[in-house]
Formats: sequence, C-alpha cells, structure tokens
Amino acid sequence: MKTKVSGCKNWKVLLASLAIVLIQTGLVFAQPVRVIASWPALADITKQIGKELVSVDSLATGVEDPHGVPMKPSFVPKLNRADVLVLIGLDDELSWLPALLEVASNPKILPGQSGYIDCSVGIPVAEPPTRLDRAEGDLHPKGNPHYLLDPVYAKNVAQNIADGLSRNFPQHQAAFEKNLKAYTAELDSWIGRWEKMTAPLKGVKFVEYHQEWVYFANRYGLKRIGAVELKPGIEPTPNHIVDLVQRIKQEKAQLLMYGAQNPRVPQQLSNETGIKVLHLYSSSGGRPETDSYIKWIDYTVRALVQAAS
Amino acid sequence: MLSLPASPQRSAAFALWSLIFLLPTAARAQSSELDSLRSTVKGMEQQLQKALDRIDQLEKEKSSSSTRVGEVEKSVQSLKAAPGSLNPGIGMVLDATAEHRSQGGGNFNFRAAEFGFAASVDPFARTYAFVTGSKDGVEVEEAAAITSSLPWNLTAKGGRFFADFGRFSKIHDHELPFVNRPLSMDRAIGGESQADGVELAYLFPTPFFLRGTVGGYNKIGADNERVDNAKSRSWSRFTYLGRLSTYLDLTDNHSVEVGASTAYTPSLRLNGDPTGGDRMLNGIDVTYRYQPLDSVVYQGVTWGSEFFANSERIPFEDVAKRRQSYGAYSYAEMKLNKNWSTGFLFDYAPSIEKPGLKTIGYSPYVTWNLSEFNRLRFQFTHADDRVRTDNSERGNQFFLQWTTVIGAHTHGFLSR
Repeated sequence: MKTKVSGCKNWKVLLASLAIVLIQTGLVFAQPVRVIASWPALADITKQIGKELVSVDSLATGVEDPHGVPMKPSFVPKLNRADVLVLIGLDDELSWLPALLEVASNPKILPGQSGYIDCSVGIPVAEPPTRLDRAEGDLHPKGNPHYLLDPVYAKNVAQNIADGLSRNFPQHQAAFEKNLKAYTAELDSWIGRWEKMTAPLKGVKFVEYHQEWVYFANRYGLKRIGAVELKPGIEPTPNHIVDLVQRIKQEKAQLLMYGAQNPRVPQQLSNETGIKVLHLYSSSGGRPETDSYIKWIDYTVRALVQAAS
Repeated sequence: MLSLPASPQRSAAFALWSLIFLLPTAARAQSSELDSLRSTVKGMEQQLQKALDRIDQLEKEKSSSSTRVGEVEKSVQSLKAAPGSLNPGIGMVLDATAEHRSQGGGNFNFRAAEFGFAASVDPFARTYAFVTGSKDGVEVEEAAAITSSLPWNLTAKGGRFFADFGRFSKIHDHELPFVNRPLSMDRAIGGESQADGVELAYLFPTPFFLRGTVGGYNKIGADNERVDNAKSRSWSRFTYLGRLSTYLDLTDNHSVEVGASTAYTPSLRLNGDPTGGDRMLNGIDVTYRYQPLDSVVYQGVTWGSEFFANSERIPFEDVAKRRQSYGAYSYAEMKLNKNWSTGFLFDYAPSIEKPGLKTIGYSPYVTWNLSEFNRLRFQFTHADDRVRTDNSERGNQFFLQWTTVIGAHTHGFLSR
C-alpha cells in the first residue's frame, strides 16, 4: 500500500516536471507571435524573420496614399490583440495610427514600449527639414519617411524587426537571428542584381508627384527635377503646373512617378511634354504580382528601367 | 625503342630538326599559357575592382550613417536639455463666418478661436484641453484626463469633455462637415454633448469593432441651460449614459458604422415643475462610407444620419406634461478631388417643449480645402422655421466659413 502511494507520487512529480519543461521550451501553448504591421512591405519582412513563429497582418493594403490611410475602426481589434506593432516611423503613419492606438487599449504597443517596433531606427534620414513651418507644406519634421524604396535600407529594417521580436520574445532569438541572416543574404543577392539592372537609370531625370523617391534616386543615381505637388501634401496650382511643364521640357525629364494620387495632372503633363508616366505604389501589395518586398522592388526597378530605355 | 644518332653530323642534324619542329610547339604552348594567365589576371582585376567599389560604397554608407546618428544623438541631447521639450502640443483653430439671412441681414460672425493642449501625463494617463474664445467670452470647452494603460480593455475619462452620445455631438463645430450644427441635435442634446463627469469605455474582445461606453455627468449639453451645472445634487439628478457602437467593413472600400446611445436622468426638475420626472434621450446613428483605398485622398462618398427621441416632463402654461419629440438629420457628401467636396444636409428639428412645432432645413454646401489646415466652405440654407417666434432663422440664409488651423491639432479617433 505504502509503495503504491509513493509510485503515484512519483508519477505526479514526473508529469509536473514534464509539463514545466514543455511549457519552458515553448512546446505547449505555443501560440504564434501576433504582429501587426502598418504596411504590407513591413509585414512581409517580418514574416521572413519570424517564419512560422509569427502570424502577421498588415493594416494598409499597399494601394493607399502613404499619408492617406483611412482610420478604420476595424483596425482597432487587430491592434488590441497584437503582441507587437511594426511601423515605418518618422511620422509616416502620423495621420492615422496614433489615434487608433489611443482607443486600442493595448499598452504593450504604445510608443516607447517594447512592442512598438520602429523600423526607422538607424536609417540615415534624407531631407530633414531645415525650416519647420507649414508654409513649407505638410512637412515630416523628422525627415523623409519613404526609405523602404532603398533596398539597402531594407536590411536595417530587417535588423530592427529581428531586434524587436527578440526583445519581446527572447526564447526565439536564435531562430530570428538565423532567419535574419538568410533574409539578409537573399536581399544582398537581389541588391547586386538591381545594381546591375539600374545602370541605365543613372542620370535619368524624373518628376515625382509626392516627395517619396529620394532614397531610390540616391541609391541608383536618378536626378529629381521637381514634384507635381506645390509643397509636400499641397495640390498643384495652375502656375505651378505651367512652371513644371517648362522645367520638364528644359531638363528633358524622362519619367513621372505617381502612386495613389489623382492621375489627372500627371496625364496632363504627359500630354504637354511627352514625359513617360508610371503608376507605382509605395509599398508591396499594391499589385497582385508584388506581394513581397523583394517582388515589389523588383517590379519597380524593371518598370523604371523599361520606361527609361 | 628509341635509337640514338650514331655520328656527330647525324647528331647535329637531329638537333636542328628537333629545334625546327619543337620550338614553334613550345612557343605555342607558352603563348596559350600566357593568354590564360592574362585572362585570369584580368578576371581577378575585375573582381578586385568590384570588391573595392563595394568597400567604398559600404564606407560611404557607414560614414553617412554614423554622421547622421551623431546628429540625431546631439539633437536628442539638446531636446532633453531644452526646458520646453516636455511642453504639451499646442494648436489653435480660427473659425469665422460671413453670414446673410433674408430675415435678419448680414453679420461677420467670429465663431471661435479654439486653443488646444495635449500631452501624456505619465505612463498611465494623458490630458488634453480645448479653451475657446468667442463673442460670448472665454470658456473651457474640454479639459479631461484619459487613462492609457488600464487592463481588461478599459479606458476611463474624467473632467469636462464631450460625452460619447451619438456621432456629431462630440465633434467640435469647426470639424463638422457643414457650417452649422443640425438644429435637431442642438435641440435634443443642447449643442455639443459637453459634460462634467466620468466615462468608462470598454473595447469588446470581438474580431470586429464593438465598443461600449457608460458615463455619469452633472448634465449633457453645452447649451443645455435647463439644468444648473454648478449646484450639488442628489444622485438621481445626474445624467447617466450608455452607448454601443460597431463598425463593419462591407468590402475594402465600403463600410458601415452604427451606434445606439441613451442618456437617462432619473429625476429632472425644471423650474415650474416641483414634481419632476425622468428624462430619456435615445439616439441612433448610422454612417455609410465609400472610400476607394487607392484614391481615398481624392474620391469618396459619405452618408450619415442620426435620429433622436426625447421623452421628458415639460412645464408649459402652468401644467407639466410628459412630452415626446422625434428629430433627425441626414446628410450626404461627395469628395470631388483632394481639394473639393460637396454635400447636402436635411434637418428635421421639433421643439422639445412643443413637439408639434418644428424647423425643417435644407442645406446644400461646397467645401474647398486649400490644404489640410485651411478651408473655405459656402453653404446655403433654406429653413422653414415654426419654432422661433421672431422668425430670425426663417427663410434663406447664406454662409461663407473660413477655418484655419495652426500648430498641433487633433481631436482623435472619435472625431474621425
């Protein structure tokens, strides 16, 4: 009888120990990390780093104006349940994300908290404003936030995401680092290819609708000669369009890029000057064939090279 | 078997022939090796050049990155050192109209200069305030603290703020899509739903947006002067609120938002009614939006409506009777491009005291957003007013509104 009780106790101790080990090693109740990204490009990079350890959802779909994402209440439950939030930063999401975070009741992902992964950390920011005045338009006080268009900086982004995920889930750090290494190597391989492919773009003069191509232009040697917007976020006046037509003709600008903006003015400029107009989105996901960051940059590079040649 | 030459002459001849035949072969072999070496060296040179280019590029990146990081660090240090760096975000809105009424003539109406302040208090709360100066004086329109880290999806708010009743009652006048607040809302609520009290909101853990709010206040309504805001009162004379609101994405581009609100005052004693009774104000709001995601900055349609049902005891001609009134407004607005939009507002506003009398208004309007912070709006209103005895609001009215914003300015998620 005594032996029986002791045996039963041993079984219980064994089961309890096993349960503790399983829980500690994450084999039981292993829920994927819930990640919300502001844009699909960030969601894709996060998926490459987190693989099966994360479930990732993006708020924007990729077709939106970078500064005109509708503040949908359906985003609120997603933010409420998120373990971490991955965002572009540099106030790119200023017009819609902070207000959603106010009602999402999720202190983990508020600015300054460990679940708030700002991918702009360490990016050499282009065009920091020299004068903070709304007479200069709808400025980004921290500099131009459209750095995702430079694939070299995607490596910083991947590093920031890996660091952020590891900070929140240190038990998976080794896996995140391994995946980061593999993704960085893949990016390097593509960056080498894009470097060769973009040779014909060097010195090509272009016009952009909104000031979002500076990082791409700096990387591949394109030369910006003007923007359709009068100032960032300010629609063009008739005088500005007249000036722009003259500048396009004088400078022999070849390309005009616009995204989720009204195509009317780009079309008008094309009719008057013959400049080639390209409709290119500001993130992956804008087209079915650009459902990953790499595919998006590849599509963008090919479209520009084809239009310039 | 190899046979060697037997004499010196034969040996010399053999050597000569060997030279003649073997030298070109050896020379050819040497030349081929040299070519191969040359090509290898050339390939190595190219690879070396590529590696050097890459090193240059990386060094440039590193140097620009470290310079920038240094600048950012300096900037952060200077911000930390600056005494004003923790000041709240400050903004100001100027809202003015030029008006003409067929019954009352013209007027330049300085509607409001609204000063806004907002900042985090600590990791647990933030505070905001809107102080408004107008021709009626200076008033604290809102000054409230909101928790930011309560557990269980709860958010608490306390102070003076716009109670979470309906859709537009918690929006400041200058943020409305039309010039004037609908009379139906003005009469049912008393202007903006300003209230001194506390509110607790709960975000339901559902896969779709579902939010509930409960609140308790001295009274609701900035212009509701039937209840004294300053006096102490029994708990039965406070106003209690409940609201549920939800939102559904019909597709990526189409959505519907629905809310139901109720404000209940258990015992409302107006002057001339010593007995008093309860007051129940119910509201339903519906908003449909068509927002094509890839052109939302320059296209879209919004249709919004609110219905109000009020039931309370009203003293009239020495007799206090329970009266019920039902009002509503409905508007539709279309965004023509990034700068221009146009819409139409229909307003059905019964009198609270005499529900048989009502005002019906029709208001087409056009809005020109010169930028996000600078707006002109023209509105024509035809009002069939049977409520006011002086006829001042009857007939045709014209408004030209100019609204400008400077500094930091946001009214948050509920005002979207």
